[in-house]
Amino acid sequence: MPGLPVDLDACIERLYKRELLAEPVIEAICAKTKELLMRESNVVHILSPVTVVGDIHGQFYDLLEIFRIGGFCPDTNYLFLGDYVDRGLFSVETISLLVCLKLRYPNRVHLIRGNHESRGVTQSYGFYTECARKYGSANVWHHFTDMFDFLTLSVVINNDIFCVHGGLSPSIHSIDQIKIIDRFREIPHEGPMADLVWSDPDAERDEFALSPRGAGYTFGAQVVKKFLEINNFSHILRAHQLCQEGYQVLYDDRLSTVWSAPNYCYRCGNLASVLEVDDAGSRFFNVFDQAPENADNRVDQQPIEKQQVEYFL
Amino acid sequence: MTSMPPPPPAFSAVAREVQAVMPTAVDAGKSITVSGFKITTRKLPILNAQEIDAMTEKLGIAPPEMIFGNNIVSIEKVGADGGAVAENPWKIEFNALDALDLVDKTGNDMLKVAYSSAWQKQREKMHEGIKEVVKPFDWTYSTNYQGSITPGAKPFEPTEDQIPLDKLRRQDPILFFDDVMLYEDELADNGMSILSVKIRVMPARLLLLARFYMRLDDVVFRIRDTRVFVEFAEGLVLREYQEREDSYDNVRQKIPPYRDDIPAIMRDPNQMAEYLPLRSVTVEKVVL
Repeated sequence: MPGLPVDLDACIERLYKRELLAEPVIEAICAKTKELLMRESNVVHILSPVTVVGDIHGQFYDLLEIFRIGGFCPDTNYLFLGDYVDRGLFSVETISLLVCLKLRYPNRVHLIRGNHESRGVTQSYGFYTECARKYGSANVWHHFTDMFDFLTLSVVINNDIFCVHGGLSPSIHSIDQIKIIDRFREIPHEGPMADLVWSDPDAERDEFALSPRGAGYTFGAQVVKKFLEINNFSHILRAHQLCQEGYQVLYDDRLSTVWSAPNYCYRCGNLASVLEVDDAGSRFFNVFDQAPENADNRVDQQPIEKQQVEYFL
Repeated sequence: MTSMPPPPPAFSAVAREVQAVMPTAVDAGKSITVSGFKITTRKLPILNAQEIDAMTEKLGIAPPEMIFGNNIVSIEKVGADGGAVAENPWKIEFNALDALDLVDKTGNDMLKVAYSSAWQKQREKMHEGIKEVVKPFDWTYSTNYQGSITPGAKPFEPTEDQIPLDKLRRQDPILFFDDVMLYEDELADNGMSILSVKIRVMPARLLLLARFYMRLDDVVFRIRDTRVFVEFAEGLVLREYQEREDSYDNVRQKIPPYRDDIPAIMRDPNQMAEYLPLRSVTVEKVVL
């Protein structure tokens, strides 16, 4: 990569072994990634074959398991749907590796923004704490979260499959309306950008409905049908929701949820999947269980697995 | 110029073998019988789509995103042979379905996320057509669940007795310990809501703590604790229920600002309990 004062292949090799990169290296890599992402549209068009990955949430060994199952970069093209950090034990290693792969193979690796790629959310759900613990300061967290502001919001595969982290927005009928969003910012609480990373399908309904929380939408069958018709797509592919089976297909095969963090939080016991879109555009869910190393790491990671006895009162 | 991609890493075969001997987060259940009481815990995966549909129908509300609907913790009076007692059976069980059935489903106790009014205002300008609200319910899943008791069993009665903390502070050997999740929800990134049950069984007594913890960012902190204490020799069961709650701002002021791990503290109900004032406490008793 021109202008990058680090050896990306060496970084990737270290990261595969779960070794951390030095803070100045992270800073340089994030700066370069920003330059690269800045040139991407809010709607990136790509062609199959591509393997689509849902939420990972810092479950680094399960990301390696995905590569073992689906193929390593650049032999396999990857589209990641966001939520790389928070919750799991290795958010820093996970996002470091994904960013290095993006820089090394910019046309073979695509990263979409999830609701956890945000300053506010990562302060509450673990990534901030992990950065501070592993690097002794919040600098690395600042580098990564500044870079998150540049991640794209959506990808279209073969001009046919619309991919986003959360779902649809009542402000968006045509993808042209996504293209004009000013995305280079923290994820706002409201508006189309929030909806894209946030909303959930509701199979019981036809239209948009308000969440009982007082903010956010769910979208129903007719909304999906209309969106696909207007844009001449056949399918919506999103992540964002945990499912025990690793995936869920709704609305007569018009929408899929793909979830890629097996045994979420090291205790949910769920399966995970990646969705493989082949040359012809056919979709296939490759389902997998948690990586064997997770059990290994449980031994020295007491905060997650409090298996030892405790004199609680 | 293109250089060769880095080779895929080598993975040790050792790691694969480790899994076989390590306990997994999920187990099919375990139990112990001590002095006429049988304690059982079960930890299974979260519910699948079909089970979630069935639970949604039973409850009338959507369950939390991490729903451990097949997990249980139970304490049962048993006979000398370890089997169920023929007369006056008594059992207390903690499970997610019964806990969630006590969540307000009318929408009367509804909290709103901190930025709700700003969000609504913005929204009304743009999408006046969308009026339908997904059936209102207490989406923080706050429950005052104190366990499910066998129908017809000898009832608890109010008492002045207290759970004897001195006996529980002693480092008696722990014969059986478990920590079982019933449900958890991130409140769509606005905080967290979690109900879990811990139990420790010593030679002469046991303590169970079912703790509900809820943090709604910039709004409120809430803890609801149910403790069940059993003194085996006396057949004495004490159940204590406590509510702790305060506004987000009040609680934040009590956390020493020099602590740089505040986000981690706010995720840990055990550390947060000391910052939340006690609002109510009741103790009940039954002698079996």
